[in-house]
Amino acid sequence: MTPGQMFLWLVALVALGFCLRRGPGMLRRVGTETGQSLVKILPLFAVALPMAAFLAELMPADAAVTWIGPESGPLGVVIASVAGGFMPGGPFVTFPLVLAFAKAGAGVPQMVALITGWSIFAVHRIISWEYPLLGWRFVVLRLVSALPLPILAGLLAELVVEFLPMTIGTP
Amino acid sequence: MINLLRRNASLMVIATIGAAAAAGLWQRDGGAAVGHALYHAWELFLFIVPSLLAGLLLAAALRQLMSPGALGRWMGAESGWFGLLVATVAGGLTPGGPMAAFPLVLVLGGAGADRGALIAYILGWSLNGFQKLLVYEVPLLGPEFAIMRTLITLPMPMLAGWLARKLPIVWEPPK
Repeated sequence: MTPGQMFLWLVALVALGFCLRRGPGMLRRVGTETGQSLVKILPLFAVALPMAAFLAELMPADAAVTWIGPESGPLGVVIASVAGGFMPGGPFVTFPLVLAFAKAGAGVPQMVALITGWSIFAVHRIISWEYPLLGWRFVVLRLVSALPLPILAGLLAELVVEFLPMTIGTP
Repeated sequence: MINLLRRNASLMVIATIGAAAAAGLWQRDGGAAVGHALYHAWELFLFIVPSLLAGLLLAAALRQLMSPGALGRWMGAESGWFGLLVATVAGGLTPGGPMAAFPLVLVLGGAGADRGALIAYILGWSLNGFQKLLVYEVPLLGPEFAIMRTLITLPMPMLAGWLARKLPIVWEPPK
């Protein structure tokens, strides 16, 4: 187990302890809900992880270099921000794909922009959840307020990487 | 029917892209390459499973422990930067996918949170949700990258919320 995973388990056990103090009924509800989430998530994993693996194999080794490579600069940051908004599906798709892009030569600031763009714009999430529940005024308000953030994040990451070189993925 | 489609839309989109990619890979590199990719996906799954289980348990526990109504009162139109900070932190702590987070916006709005705080809340969840960070980003992309990206985007929900309060777009939570 990695240190991050141990930390996550520790926090989870503390939270479960708080639930137990409020009564065994609450702990049972937590168990039921976890089971329901697993039933919902496992089918997604079953299709998403192979998809990301196939795409990673298909992608030529230097496919990402020209558009979103480390040398693509601010234009690459803009391209990655927009591309992020159109990534389909949840984190179980996006993060394996980012890993695939990184192996195909994408730059670190560009991947920061891509993840931020996906977090903010995710078109599929707007269509299926935000618009029906909260209405178009909320969508417009949020999009206008957050519009420059992915590009800003990518440019800031460019500054950081300049002083603190790093790679994506655990070696 | 619409609901069924909505709940399974991502599943179908992903499955379609996945099938097309598998066909393309088979065509180019043969069946062995497809098998190799599948094995790689299985390894990745085994790697994520411990975090996934812990993340889901924690998410379910937090949902039982948190009271959105009490939080919403701290996030009104007069709450200033403090309200935006509360909203950003609450968003980051909100576990689960959009099916959990967007309905909570309605609850918080009903309890008195204003549009700026709600924007900050949703962005805090989507940009820096702890569950996404610990279950996916740290194990897959490495702690260095995940921490750097999180630190950069940490204050961004508050900025957007502040801007949303200045914008002349009026929004009331639907009744």
